[in-house]
Amino acid sequence: MTATTHSEGKHLGPAQYVMVWAALMVLTGVTLAVWKTDMSYAARVVVALAIATVKATLVAVFFMHLWEEQGIARLVLVVSAVMVALLIGLTLVDNATRFPFANPPYSGSWAGEPYQQAAPPMQAEPPPVRSSPASNVEHPAAHKP
Amino acid sequence: MRTDAATAPSRLAHHFPDMKTQEHAARMGMWLFLSTEILLFAVLFAAYAVYRYLFPIGFEEASKLAHVTMGATNTVVLITSSLTVALAIHYARQGENRKVVGLLGVTILFGAVFMVLKGYEYYHHWLDGQLPGRLYHYAGLKGPGVSMYFTVYFLMTGLHGLHVLIGMSVLGWVAWRAGRGEFGPGYSTPVELSGLYWHLVDLIWIFLFPLLYLV
Repeated sequence: MTATTHSEGKHLGPAQYVMVWAALMVLTGVTLAVWKTDMSYAARVVVALAIATVKATLVAVFFMHLWEEQGIARLVLVVSAVMVALLIGLTLVDNATRFPFANPPYSGSWAGEPYQQAAPPMQAEPPPVRSSPASNVEHPAAHKP
Repeated sequence: MRTDAATAPSRLAHHFPDMKTQEHAARMGMWLFLSTEILLFAVLFAAYAVYRYLFPIGFEEASKLAHVTMGATNTVVLITSSLTVALAIHYARQGENRKVVGLLGVTILFGAVFMVLKGYEYYHHWLDGQLPGRLYHYAGLKGPGVSMYFTVYFLMTGLHGLHVLIGMSVLGWVAWRAGRGEFGPGYSTPVELSGLYWHLVDLIWIFLFPLLYLV
């Protein structure tokens, strides 16, 4: 494993950093613009996460110098990403395949099933006068196991 | 002041053959530390994913209560602060310590702006009773999962904000060292490592923003 030198050619200059910054700004704008379109909800979520991943890759590769890094240091981030994916993925698989009553009351699902009838309906009222905390704590999902 | 304070031999620990190897080991160690930070946040992201999965409608409705303009502004602020840190590292390698001090100062300022905007958001959630768990008493939106959104929201942005504060402190210390003219072509490791930390803070926000404010 060779150590990287700062005199070697792969170095980025201020111009490149500003370009990466500009790309990140544009992608942030795209995220917001796509969010305001009337694409389906799932599509917008996928686009938002895909753009976030691209942005994170830009930051890691250019700002965090993985581009010019050599050897095993480049592997660390990749391994972390795999571990994060395993952690989140398998946890979701666990919840998705549970006997329904093993999940908290009133929990719905992605599968398009109707939100459970027993749940108090979602209501968006105009913001009312603030009331005391104790008066309307009525929240079945807040029960901890 | 003295640039020759950065000459290689004085910085080299005896168990490394040369500065290159030492610096590589330092960055390697920093990456390992960052990987533990990533896993720390990953647990919260997993919690988010689970409750998002269990309460899709509650989370979708509750996330509409987040202040998107503030969040988007903070995204711009953090990304720009990442640029200034990247430039600071660039100039540290060239020994232009004066520019390093300036750029790190601007970065810390951006961090402060981020925290002020974040505090403003917190304050308004507090006023509206949009708080975690049993403390939630916002009458405008009620339903399963809504208060859980705010639990996750405050945990994730709170831990992230703590990292911003730590990053600001570390960068302040590094800026002070740059002010003494310590960095140059032979030695810029503290700027690089604190920069890596700051970039990670930015990287996590890049995911937090769409997940908490939009999705």
